[in-house]
Amino acid sequence: MKPAPFEYVRATQLGDALAALASDDDAKVIAGGQSLVPLMALRLARPALLVDVNDLPLDTVEVANNEVRLGSLVRHVRLERDAVVVRAAPLLAEAAALIGYPAIRNRGTLGGSVAHADPAAELPAALVALDGVVLAEGREGTRRISARDFFEGFLTTVLAPDELVVGVQVPVAAERHGASFREWAPRAGDFAVAGVAVVIELDAGGVCVSLGAAACGVGSTPVDLHEVLTDAGVLGASDVGDSLLRSTAQAAARTARGDDDREQLVGLLTAAALHDAFARARGGDASGTGVAA
Amino acid sequence: MIGARTLRREDPRLLTGRGSYLADHDVPGLCHIALWRSPVAHARIRSIDTAAAAALPGVVAVLTQADLDAAGARPMTHLLPIPGVQPLAWGVLAQEVVRFVGEPLVAVVAASRAIAEDAVDVLVVDYDELPPVVDVHAALEFGAPLLYPEWGTNEFLHLDYATDGLDDALARAPHVRTERFESHRIAALPLEGHGAQASFDPATGTLTVLASQQQPHQLRTVIAEVCSLSEGEVRVIAPDMGGGFGNKQHFTREECLVALLARITGRPVRWSQDRGEGLTASIHSRPQVHDATFGYDDDGRVLALSVRVVSDLGNPVLYFSGVGPSLVTVGALCGGYAIEHHGWSLSCVATTTCPVGGYRGFGQPQSHLTTERVMDLVAADLGIDPAEVRRRNLLPDAPRPFIAHGGARIDVGPLGPQLDQLLDSFQYDAWRERQRAMRDAGRYVGIGLSTLVQGTAPTQYGVAGRGGSYETAIVSVLPDGNVTVAVGSKSQGQSHETVLAQIAAEMLGTTVDRVVVRDGDTALLPNGMGTWGSRTAVMAGGAVRVAAGRVRDKMTAIAAHMGGAPTLEAVAAEAWWHAHRLPAGIEPGLSATVCYTPGRTIPIPDAAGHTSFDETFGSHMTAVAVEVCPATGDVSVLDALLVSDCGVVINPMVVEGQHQGGFAQGLGAVLYEEVRYSDDGQPQCTTLADYTIPTAIEVPRLRVVHRETHSGTEGGFRGVGEAAITAAPAALAGAVADALAPLGVTITSTRLHAHHLRALLRAAGVEPDPAAFAIA
Repeated sequence: MKPAPFEYVRATQLGDALAALASDDDAKVIAGGQSLVPLMALRLARPALLVDVNDLPLDTVEVANNEVRLGSLVRHVRLERDAVVVRAAPLLAEAAALIGYPAIRNRGTLGGSVAHADPAAELPAALVALDGVVLAEGREGTRRISARDFFEGFLTTVLAPDELVVGVQVPVAAERHGASFREWAPRAGDFAVAGVAVVIELDAGGVCVSLGAAACGVGSTPVDLHEVLTDAGVLGASDVGDSLLRSTAQAAARTARGDDDREQLVGLLTAAALHDAFARARGGDASGTGVAA
Repeated sequence: MIGARTLRREDPRLLTGRGSYLADHDVPGLCHIALWRSPVAHARIRSIDTAAAAALPGVVAVLTQADLDAAGARPMTHLLPIPGVQPLAWGVLAQEVVRFVGEPLVAVVAASRAIAEDAVDVLVVDYDELPPVVDVHAALEFGAPLLYPEWGTNEFLHLDYATDGLDDALARAPHVRTERFESHRIAALPLEGHGAQASFDPATGTLTVLASQQQPHQLRTVIAEVCSLSEGEVRVIAPDMGGGFGNKQHFTREECLVALLARITGRPVRWSQDRGEGLTASIHSRPQVHDATFGYDDDGRVLALSVRVVSDLGNPVLYFSGVGPSLVTVGALCGGYAIEHHGWSLSCVATTTCPVGGYRGFGQPQSHLTTERVMDLVAADLGIDPAEVRRRNLLPDAPRPFIAHGGARIDVGPLGPQLDQLLDSFQYDAWRERQRAMRDAGRYVGIGLSTLVQGTAPTQYGVAGRGGSYETAIVSVLPDGNVTVAVGSKSQGQSHETVLAQIAAEMLGTTVDRVVVRDGDTALLPNGMGTWGSRTAVMAGGAVRVAAGRVRDKMTAIAAHMGGAPTLEAVAAEAWWHAHRLPAGIEPGLSATVCYTPGRTIPIPDAAGHTSFDETFGSHMTAVAVEVCPATGDVSVLDALLVSDCGVVINPMVVEGQHQGGFAQGLGAVLYEEVRYSDDGQPQCTTLADYTIPTAIEVPRLRVVHRETHSGTEGGFRGVGEAAITAAPAALAGAVADALAPLGVTITSTRLHAHHLRALLRAAGVEPDPAAFAIA
């Protein structure tokens, strides 16, 4: 369990990092290393060159123009605890808290999780649910890629080999915003067998006027549930009663087609996340079981 | 001293990172070993090209079994003294045929493990694949591919036993039922993997081997044999160990390989198992399928129990392999119950999977699962409370020893009062009330019971062909009055430095802080048997007690001769420094070497055909209450309590730690862990992301209540280390079965993992309500 030989360069300028990435077809970016290093130790990944980006000034959290812009070197622990993130993007904070263990969250980065594109990972699904944007820097400049278009397949994205994820952007949570990320894993901290993120916004009359949802662990990419929930009647609903929870769950479950166990879990988790999101959007919980974000 | 909650004397060292484990022993020039291991389950090797590997800078040697043979390596064998066992010897490395994914074929010695792995990467091995044999029942079918064609079968060993009249008893029984109970394959997974390091000194002709090994003296014997050295030329040192759990009582190919390579290369070499090797190519445990037929009367008395045991050995190229645990299984099927008629058959079967061998519990979790499930099914069938069914079947309070089927001499205390204590301490009746109330509220709570009667301190003869039942200790009072204790047992974390010091201090009338306990070095003592089989308190504890007693008697004689009331220091100084003043006939010095045996086992059948493999028995009764979420299959332990009788308790804190740790492993086995193979024999659990062991978050507290029924061995001790790991799977299976019975789910295996329970619930037609789940 020792990695195959590789070269290593530590970039201090974005341009240097991009040049290094372009210099070798088998170059890989290393930030937190929480996915890449184990894969290298197993010799499942054999990059010829590691480009260390930890010195780049990308550990940033900014709110402007009703958008939260997060640098790609923001560690999961910061997503989990940063007061700005917790207030402006509570779904990301909740998703980050579900990643691995504290030691992993201390090192793992937002950009790393997004670029690695593990379909079981929480942050890609949360970004899809939030209709976020991935900011990719290449030598030709910055591309803004919708999270819904970014993930192509198992561990693959639309990112070019010489592009670097420098950040993500999500809308700031509105006043009657409710978000929930529910997952099932064998143990606390394991990869989720299935997880569902739901984010909604209610108008002053308590009617759902905006929604996003996505599942992780189910397909080869995060599965966008926006349309499924919309068709199920969540958009425009002012309450989630038992029958809406059941029909939405049933519709969401179908996205895990062919896998009885994941169908069951996605259904349950969708209902739970939807219920939580409504309770939180109302600023409290009518049933007394929810936790305000 | 005995009975005190003395804090662990090893903790300051171990808990502050100052323990010294195998890989903490760097020496100048140390080389490292990596192995080319088979990527397929079954193949015939056509050719091995080592040229590219040998040419890599930093590579010292690349060797196959042919090279080891040329250097005089001798094969390894089982030493199973059982008629009918198939002939089998194996090389340190495979040759011609590989029979499981991970079987080692080529060894690389290099300046670092990374370079050695680079070299393994460029080895070219050409092979023809042979058909895999993964499922144990398929392996027994006529026409199945054979691992060892010369056997004509994959059955390595078949044994049968039955009392006279078993068939009649089953035929006459008012109720008869046949059920299958399966124990799935798991890995013991000590935190520190296996490993060994060796260096050969040509000046003295001495081979020194460091090994993470529970039986250092016996590893010395095996290494001496494989390397054609005398036992005096081999010194084995087992340093601090990060767990062993029976896995490290096997003498592995790799340990022998390290010894051979040190001799062949003339360099100090180390092999330190990585986690991938630990999960796929080390030692697995437990896979057995039991088909139990049991007859019982209207009162719930079990009249006859017949069990067909099919035991998966993997490729049995492992010293005593899965046969050792399987023999313990079939000997323990009646547990602590008096069942008049009994029989079993045992098929030990080779498959193209990782070798199966010992893991704490050593065959007993499987037998105990069957025994306890039988009691639960009888209870459910007759509508009698499962605690009451157990009471009606427990061994009678007299005589002692109770002579079990086959001859085991069971010497436990009265079991009825222990069951009463369990039900009372656990508040069993209150739990049954709560269970009813919670069920009415749509919550699925179950209660599981285990009444374990467990042999401890076994003789090794029946399993390993030599070794017997003894332990060696040297107790010395040094000239300044401090005490050293050397033992042939080997701590892997069991608190020996504390409890053996407590015994010595008590016998010598000194304090624990003046006693130093040393183990794990063949240079300390002529021979020893190591630590396994819940034996150390009884065997090493007994040896220390006898040796300390002899020293104390001598000190008493010297003190009397000195007159007055001399201190221990004064007597010690007198014994070592003033030989001319000692009483007539008393040798100078204060040291005793004892090779202690309680002498209560019958390893070879006696005139009555009886064998009895255990020096003494413990009795441990456990109750657990669980709640199962029918939507997710998650099992939550609401309460767990164990009433422990391990004879004289040397240190209650240590006993409680043993039970808590065993409970964690037993719970992990049934709720989280499973070694899985694909149909073509590829291991599916190669990292700790796939092989999920419980963390501190998942392990609930086990409450422990002590009872003390003195055994007839020295000091009155009984073994304790394997109780909770044996009790937990059976108790949890019973609890989960009890919880899910209203939903029509039947539990027939140790697979209580959430995903398995979800599948069982789906199969039973249970459709969870998402709305209810969301609101809960």
